[in-house]
Amino acid sequence: MDDSQARKFQKDLNGGLTALVLLTVLERSNEDLYGYEIAKRLQKANEGEALFKEGTVYPVLRALAAAGLLTSRVVPSYAGPARRYYRITDEGRAMQRQWSDIWRQTRGFVDRFIEGSDV
Amino acid sequence: MSANAPRSIDDYLKQLRAALADQDPALVQDALYDAEEYLRAEVAAHPGKSEADVLELIASTYGAPDEVAAAYRDTEVKVKAALKTPAPASASPHAGGLRRFFGVFMDVRAYTSLFYMLLSLATGILYFTFVVTGLSLSAGFAVLIIGIPFFLAFIGMGRVIALGEGRLLEAMTGERMPRRPVHPGAPAGWLTRIGEMLKDVRTWTTLLYFLLMLPLGIIYFCIATVGLAFGLRLALAPVVVLGRDLNFLPLGMALDMIQIDGRAVAAPHTFIGALFYMALGLVILALLMHLARGIGRGHARLAKSLLVEAGA
Repeated sequence: MDDSQARKFQKDLNGGLTALVLLTVLERSNEDLYGYEIAKRLQKANEGEALFKEGTVYPVLRALAAAGLLTSRVVPSYAGPARRYYRITDEGRAMQRQWSDIWRQTRGFVDRFIEGSDV
Repeated sequence: MSANAPRSIDDYLKQLRAALADQDPALVQDALYDAEEYLRAEVAAHPGKSEADVLELIASTYGAPDEVAAAYRDTEVKVKAALKTPAPASASPHAGGLRRFFGVFMDVRAYTSLFYMLLSLATGILYFTFVVTGLSLSAGFAVLIIGIPFFLAFIGMGRVIALGEGRLLEAMTGERMPRRPVHPGAPAGWLTRIGEMLKDVRTWTTLLYFLLMLPLGIIYFCIATVGLAFGLRLALAPVVVLGRDLNFLPLGMALDMIQIDGRAVAAPHTFIGALFYMALGLVILALLMHLARGIGRGHARLAKSLLVEAGA
């Protein structure tokens, strides 16, 4: 079995899903989070399976901020360089709801084939 | 895991830089900053393990350098497409010459570049004063105990200002500039840090850029104000002539368009004549806008080479 095919499929799937997961993490969070913290939260939920790489989180966060779905502020840190904390915007919340609905529909659609219930 | 898996943070960053070699230097700076932040936090979170041990696991958590590079490349393409200001229709090669020439009035970039030119006198004075004051005080304080922290703070502030100037330039001209500052690297003693700053080419090119901004700012400001005053005065000639004919011209306002040594060399007396002046004024304004757009692009490239590429 070719492992690189599996990885490529996973990568294609992750394209838009990483953005949805990041938006959801920030939507559920009561406080602002910075890149490393967010990556670690995802890592914990990942349960050892290599579903995604934490390195892909940072560029997506930046893209979401550029699109106005997140705001960010820089806080100086004693441990090292200043950290950029992210918070979801109202626009981001609306987008998260919309994307979640799309995800549920997509998941249901795909499952209907894979589980073979009404094909 | 591949044979040349990174063994240290520096190794990792080197491989990531190599994997992004074909990318915009501003993107490379951002990617390196993110990776360094993550890696240093990860090493700090595992005090019992050595740097090499932590990095052994990095490929499965943060991702191998080439995987991370691919993620940045993909995201950059998408973000660029989403944020790009659409080029005005007049910029298409199919548009006629006249339409392309005057189409510059529809181009947002030309206005923002013109605004940058007007602003550059103020920022130029600030940057110049910052560098001259900072350098001379650093030299003066060098013999005192506060000399070292003062110099570090001065250079650190310079980096923040450089980042801000980059953000301003990207907003005005669309040239991709870094969204993160240069990573300060591993915590180190003050003397080591100063040594590194002095050795870093970018420290000096950044200061050079700040100094250059004063003369450049003066030139940009003069071009913008003279061009605007000249062009707008001519373009508004019909209003002035109408004002005289309909008696709403403010007292003391002359019809003279251009005066040299107090003598009028051009003054329209009829409405038809004024229309010719207006046409001339619009041409001058269009030329100014083209010039502003060009200066904006050229200046952004200069800023990039001195503020971003020099250290890469």
